[in-house]
Amino acid sequence: MADARRFFDDIEVGEAYESPGRTVTETDIVLFAGLSGDYNVLHTDAEFMKQSIFGERIAHGLLGLSIQAGLFTRATQAYATLAFVGLRWKFKGPIKIGDTIRLRAKVTAKKETSKPDRGLVTVERVVVNQRDEVVQEGETDLIVERRPR
Amino acid sequence: MTVAAPSRFFFEDVVLHGVMETPAITVTRAHVALYAGLTGDGNADAPVAPELLLVCLTTGLGWRMPQPPLAVLAFMGVEWHVDAPLRVGDTIHSRSRTAVKRAMREGGVIVEEREVINQRGETVQHGKFTFLVARRPAAATAEGGSA
Repeated sequence: MADARRFFDDIEVGEAYESPGRTVTETDIVLFAGLSGDYNVLHTDAEFMKQSIFGERIAHGLLGLSIQAGLFTRATQAYATLAFVGLRWKFKGPIKIGDTIRLRAKVTAKKETSKPDRGLVTVERVVVNQRDEVVQEGETDLIVERRPR
Repeated sequence: MTVAAPSRFFFEDVVLHGVMETPAITVTRAHVALYAGLTGDGNADAPVAPELLLVCLTTGLGWRMPQPPLAVLAFMGVEWHVDAPLRVGDTIHSRSRTAVKRAMREGGVIVEEREVINQRGETVQHGKFTFLVARRPAAATAEGGSA
């Protein structure tokens, strides 16, 4: 069967993708607190958070970051990714329970590496909510296989 | 006897250049499967753990320290580098150091350098976390000030 993954050679600088939406639920936050062990009151104490500037519990920043990584796989045909190697990321606003987020991604750079069978792809990413407000944004560096010759 | 809930660790309590080394956790197939199901990131059958899962697990390791949790108002950013893959079944812990402590009008900014270390003492990931941290409320100052 042909390998349907997109290789370093197939990816072009300037390509842009938009993912489907993903509603972030209370369940997501509870499961993420349990999995990560991060029980910060920001995410787990509804009463405390009524008094905060957010007015309610908010999603862990890293939950949003992880969900956008999942959304990337639904935004475009799979890359032949060998590894995720770098991240520069800003959390710009809260993701609240019931918010629907989506990812807008764009390839901004491609670089050869010292190994001939792979290359580095930099993807700029913006996570927006249902009001089109940017909640997170940044860049990721991926090591992607070259098409086998 | 009543034991009070632990207080929170405020901006004033953070020691510049202070180092914290956490207990460890073994990264299992269950972690990878739960993470992949929850976020859609990673492959439950792969022998290597999703890179971002380790970042998430380090935040929980900090909660297993005897010191009270940092009074984080907002997580501002992260810069991260993956140095080596981590196999499912490996055991990680994290070491962090406060690199920057900058007072602001509302709270202060803390930049923490963090490493994820495997059972052989090798750094598998490293980077920086930036947090906005609350100041100690006036009523709760250790000095008993009436500000």
